[in-house]
Amino acid sequence: MIIKLDKVKVQSRKAEEAINITPQVDELVEKSGVKNGLVNVMTCHTSSGLLVTEGLPCLEEDILTHFARLLPEDENYHHRRYLDFDGRVGFNAETHLKSILGGIQCSFPIENGKVVRGSRQTIYFMEYDGPLERTYMVQVLGE
Amino acid sequence: MIDFHTHPVLIREFADKYPDYTRMAREVFQIGNNLQPLETFFLQMDVAGIEKSVLLPIACARARGLAVSSNEQVAELCGLSKRFIGFASVDPLQPGAAKQLEAAIQAMGLKGLKLDAALQDFDLNDPKVFEVYEAATALGIPALIHTGMSWAPGTPLAQGQPLLLEPAIRRFPRLNFVLAHWGWPWVWDASALALKYPNVYLDTSCFYYDGPTEFFQFHFRQQMPITLLERSLRNQIVFGSNYPRVEIKNMVKAIKSLGLTEACLEKILRTNAEKLLGIETRPAR
Repeated sequence: MIIKLDKVKVQSRKAEEAINITPQVDELVEKSGVKNGLVNVMTCHTSSGLLVTEGLPCLEEDILTHFARLLPEDENYHHRRYLDFDGRVGFNAETHLKSILGGIQCSFPIENGKVVRGSRQTIYFMEYDGPLERTYMVQVLGE
Repeated sequence: MIDFHTHPVLIREFADKYPDYTRMAREVFQIGNNLQPLETFFLQMDVAGIEKSVLLPIACARARGLAVSSNEQVAELCGLSKRFIGFASVDPLQPGAAKQLEAAIQAMGLKGLKLDAALQDFDLNDPKVFEVYEAATALGIPALIHTGMSWAPGTPLAQGQPLLLEPAIRRFPRLNFVLAHWGWPWVWDASALALKYPNVYLDTSCFYYDGPTEFFQFHFRQQMPITLLERSLRNQIVFGSNYPRVEIKNMVKAIKSLGLTEACLEKILRTNAEKLLGIETRPAR
């Protein structure tokens, strides 16, 4: 049994952004030495996400546009309060809720040393509160 | 656009280089956000439309054990990018503070003075502080003074009262004082000082609850009339974000939400800062 964990940094460059990380995940699986097993990918943050959809710019735009419609900045969020332990006001509730809505992880089977994905499936790191340097984890388990 | 109020306290490269840097950020400045590469600072400026940022150190080692960034660190960052404008901080109670300020301005190329009586633990009307103001006047630099509430732990609220600065403002009419955070919660006191004294400026880096836009809408449209900014104070306001306590993009959005005229916004976001700093960031139209 092989269990391998990688922490990968990604620099978002916009306030909101869908970043295709499929090639990075594929490469880490191939390097892991696991022939048959499972890969799990997860963001380390609560104002970013991890989701799978068809790899098209129009869909990237639709996700961000409609998440913003569902979770507008000017809603009445309880999180918007003085957080003394953080030295800041917690004013980014909508970005946390987008993270929950879109999800924070995904899993794929590994067969013959490669990730098994549907032909249209693309793995996205979703930035909801950038630009920031972010980290996501890729854990490969198998034989 | 110029951001007149930022603190370089979460830069990863500095955390790797300076042993106490992260402890300073967590325990003295008190901020919980992750360290970020310097590139993130520039990207935060880019998405907010900011061309230049003023970097503020606070010489609070005597009072708090560590300084919140040193003049040397600020100068180092300014050496890496023309987008940074560095200020210097000195401890007025230390012998030679005025000379130290002169050296920071003349040898390191820093452009202003930053003091925070609450974090640095001194009396704003101590004669030793006036010696530093005298040096700043002679150097022709602005003095950005913390007013209002401080997030830093252990800091007394009362030392941030803007009216405590009035004797210095009167004594040094040729020194431009920038009252940080608009003196919140004493926003009327800070505004009154700016109305009464032409050498008083206010920075917009006040944000302590709700969202930035909600906060600005209340304080600048309900607590005080927006006409006060538009008509009377337009030449004495500079945009400041207080990054990284809040992301710059959110504070730019908040100031733009107030419905100020383009001419007034231009003054707040650019020309008042240029005037204070004696610089021009783009050719005059």
